[in-house]
Amino acid sequence: MSAKTETISVANHRTKIVHGFIYAFLIILAVIYLLPLAWVIITSLKDDAVLMISPWELPARPMWENYSFAWTMGHLGTATLNSFIVCTITLLFSMIFGAMAAFAIAKMRWKLSKLVLTYFMIGMMIPVHTVLIPLFVQFSSLKLSNTLIGIIIPYITFSLPITIYIMTGFFEGIPGELFESACIDGCSIFRMFTTVGVPLAKTGFMVTGLMSFVANWNELLLAMVFISKEAKKTLPVSLTKFVGPYHTNYCQMFAAIVIAVIPTIIVYCVFANQIVEGLTAGAVKG
Amino acid sequence: MDKLLRNKKAIILFIAPAFILFTLVLLIPICKAVYYSFCNYKTLHPIKFIGVDNYVKLFTKDRAMRAALKNSIFFMVFSIVTQFIMGLFLAALLTNIRRGRNLFKNIYYLPCVLSSAALGLLWMFIFTPKLGINQMMASFGWIADCTEGPQWLFNTEGFIILPIIVISFVALWQYVGQSMMLYMAQISGISSDIYEAAAIDGCTKTQVFFKITLPLIRPMIATAMSLNAIGSLKFFDLVYNMIPEGFLGDKAHVLATHMYTQAFKFNKLGYGSAIGVVLLIMCLIVTLLINKFVKVEAYD
Repeated sequence: MSAKTETISVANHRTKIVHGFIYAFLIILAVIYLLPLAWVIITSLKDDAVLMISPWELPARPMWENYSFAWTMGHLGTATLNSFIVCTITLLFSMIFGAMAAFAIAKMRWKLSKLVLTYFMIGMMIPVHTVLIPLFVQFSSLKLSNTLIGIIIPYITFSLPITIYIMTGFFEGIPGELFESACIDGCSIFRMFTTVGVPLAKTGFMVTGLMSFVANWNELLLAMVFISKEAKKTLPVSLTKFVGPYHTNYCQMFAAIVIAVIPTIIVYCVFANQIVEGLTAGAVKG
Repeated sequence: MDKLLRNKKAIILFIAPAFILFTLVLLIPICKAVYYSFCNYKTLHPIKFIGVDNYVKLFTKDRAMRAALKNSIFFMVFSIVTQFIMGLFLAALLTNIRRGRNLFKNIYYLPCVLSSAALGLLWMFIFTPKLGINQMMASFGWIADCTEGPQWLFNTEGFIILPIIVISFVALWQYVGQSMMLYMAQISGISSDIYEAAAIDGCTKTQVFFKITLPLIRPMIATAMSLNAIGSLKFFDLVYNMIPEGFLGDKAHVLATHMYTQAFKFNKLGYGSAIGVVLLIMCLIVTLLINKFVKVEAYD
């Protein structure tokens, strides 16, 4: 009896040591993740001259001027506004169009539904680079380059595959009886969609909306190609101005980085669980 | 009810917006890109059909393309392998601890939602010779002077040049959270009965991991790997922002930056399209291969 308890306590002791190692490792890794981000914030409040001498110290006096410089001279104020407009409109339309298509695929009965779903899913594999040149040519001839609408249209399209995929899953999860009782109550198919389908797939909307918002907020290549006018640039494009060997004011660059990442950090802190859920909901079935 | 759900008009109305957008923004442009890739097409010049000349030039004469292909394939292999190992390792660790699981998970996933353009700038600074890492190394006394340390982003020697390796580690740092998250979701979906049975049979944790967890998450491994592969082939933001344009010549190109430079700096739209088509074909092939060899039908 006592021998047995001893083995258990030895085993417990071993698990404790193992857990100690695991936690030590996880904490070191967490520091590697957070340190650069914390350092950006600190540096963004410094002076370049101070930075060169002591890059790791806290600033004696916070230089808020860096932010106002990046905001006005770096045109980040306009860029943030543009990014907000683009992302919000994209989010709205990709959710509406995506939910409509997903509803028809998941709940309505027709022969080609599987085929159409496959057509949409192929979109996930297509890199934006391949369609960039033809779209650019097309949109310049339609006078859509250098307009926000010109990047909103491709953004909606590229948000659709994942939206449709996730929303199809959510609609399939709604029991058919609910629709049947709505049918008995005399609902039309459109009312069924708006009054039964949409409210019950609320989580799905949350998740896909967040994912499309984050993805489009960070998109660089397409926005860079389509937009050259300062007044229409989105955040990632405006940031590229700070790159290069001739741009030497690092502290202002850091202020710009902070401005660019703060909105997504806030969104992430508030909705972390939904984003995670969405990511996994989207992929688990794949 | 059935009649309602078979309403053709409603179906068409529901599908139409997404379908039309897809066709106009993806399908038709892809066909056009394929056509352009067989043409000599420069901005403000008429299109001229030249057959496979672009592709011949791309694969035989273009040194930048060779570097871009090499770097992109390196990125892809590196990210598939390291993300698989690190992602699975982190997922296994996190599912085994109780306290702070969500906190760590959220911290590791955080960079995935941040702009790579912004993070690229940050890491470019950290790897600048005179500042960042080299200065830290100098202050610890590992190197005599910060200019003597490794030229992280400017060294162009070797088969795979140092900047590319540095960037691939940054990409691992940024995106490993995604793989981790996917594996975690799959692991937590495994029924605890199986683990209990294994515990009764006296399996060790290592055995449980290799004999139960690993086979059961195989479908997810395929998904995560294809996401990684496509993501790393498409890689643009980090390279563009961490290596100042034209600073390292042809050597530091990846497919995306090469395409961008050819099409939108030199205005060679036809030639750029050829690169885009190569990229698309590579994405499709890699996805097919991964799904063929890694994916199995899900166990129930």
